Amino acid sequence: MPKIRSSRTKRAPEGFDEIEPTLKEFQQKMKDAENDPHEGKRKVEALWPIFRLHHQRSRYVYELFYKRKAISKELYEYLLKQGYADGNLIAKWKKAGYEKVCCLRCIQPKDTNFGTTCVCRVPRHTLEEGKVIECIHCGCRGCSSGSGAGSSSGASTSKDNDN
Amino acid sequence: MSQIKADPNKVSWEESEFPILCETCLGDNPYLRMTKQSQAKECKVCTRPFTVFRWCPGVGMRFKKTEVCQTCSKVKNVCQTCLLDLEFGLPVQVRDTALGLADEAPRSDVNKEYFAQNMDAHFQNTENGLGSGGFGKAESAGREMLKKLQRTEPYYKRNRQHICSFFVKGNCTRGAECPYRHEMPAGGELNHQNLKDRYYGTNDPVARKMMSGPRAGGGKQMSPPEDQTITSLFITGITEDIKEQDLRGFFYAFGEIKSIVVVLKSKCAFVNFTTRMAAELAFEKAGSGVNLQGVALRVSWGKSRPVGARAEQKGVEAAPTPAAVMHALETGPPPPPGSKSKFAYPSQDPTYQGSTR
Repeated sequence: MPKIRSSRTKRAPEGFDEIEPTLKEFQQKMKDAENDPHEGKRKVEALWPIFRLHHQRSRYVYELFYKRKAISKELYEYLLKQGYADGNLIAKWKKAGYEKVCCLRCIQPKDTNFGTTCVCRVPRHTLEEGKVIECIHCGCRGCSSGSGAGSSSGASTSKDNDN
Repeated sequence: MSQIKADPNKVSWEESEFPILCETCLGDNPYLRMTKQSQAKECKVCTRPFTVFRWCPGVGMRFKKTEVCQTCSKVKNVCQTCLLDLEFGLPVQVRDTALGLADEAPRSDVNKEYFAQNMDAHFQNTENGLGSGGFGKAESAGREMLKKLQRTEPYYKRNRQHICSFFVKGNCTRGAECPYRHEMPAGGELNHQNLKDRYYGTNDPVARKMMSGPRAGGGKQMSPPEDQTITSLFITGITEDIKEQDLRGFFYAFGEIKSIVVVLKSKCAFVNFTTRMAAELAFEKAGSGVNLQGVALRVSWGKSRPVGARAEQKGVEAAPTPAAVMHALETGPPPPPGSKSKFAYPSQDPTYQGSTR
């Protein structure tokens, strides 16, 4: 659904204007990631920023509603509907043990040879002395709840200081 | 798996349920997960499509897969991935020269395909033992030699990751998460191996090296001592019954023994003399073989080992003297990582023979 506003579209619920700049920035970053040239990157690596931004954006909305309770339910549902956050991914974050899941591909057993989850779901202490792992789906370096992944997959992000 | 074919020339694709593999390729873990894909790749030898099996032979190892088809592996009685003999774990060339087998597997295009097709039918019909059946007298002598050449333990190093070619060039951008080995490749003849050569048993550098080595070298006496600074003898054939005392008791007659190191794992021992003269005398008298505790041992010169960090640093002999070792031990704790020396301890140096005590 397009995020374009015209005189025919319904107004966004209140509170949208406060978070709008952050969302716009995410949108811009996403466009940049989509248009990035593929030089110097592996075939799978070119997609990693997309997944990362998607995770970050959904995380932002999730934290606003569930953790900080800074937006109304109405606005939250509006955001989900308009595609500013991924409802399926947020649904996973509500489950025990999946609080920091990086993306939906990594927990999909149908995507693997032996019906397991991605390597990034393995807790860090079990994966001892093995060097840095970047999973092929999204470049995640470990998203199990105990591995201190933080609220973003991969290395540290430049989180906006809004709200 | 046997299919009734109306037309003997009709090509039917290979289907197999389990690969023909050696224990080393399978790895140390008795629990394995293996994927099977029918007709996933073409056989590296006969270029026919075959079932590819893929598995992980252990933690930190690369995933291995079958490279040649079952028919080709049955023809030569080799493992489907490493192409080494299933019985001995030795290259095809070594086994064939030892056992006097002259396998006439054709190598050129149509000939090869025709042969493979026929062998396919043959194996489907016989379906029992692979490789040669009964063993003649000439073969048992060969088998003895092959048994001596065998490895005692599985060599899992061959399951390691391949060398990162970007690292060799100096520009691996993946850095820490690179799954390939960041080491420099060991140069030399062994770098240029060819699968077809290894399979057919012609022109195999590993086989050549094995057959010219001391153990298989036949009765030929080793040439007089080469490098003048080597004062140690290399004894092979050591079994558990032979103790350091026995060796000492035998060799002390030739001169003062600096040290004796016994390595049971590889059935060998080093006898280091203090003087070159003593070593030469010992070799003269005992070079043709020693008989201790009823076991026949082979004696040869301690080979000058490949150049290690110590030799590079000092630029002197291959084997450091006790004085040098003491100096290294006394110059305090090992240097912190990132310093120039590649080895923190003298015992890590491959050119150093014997122990540091």
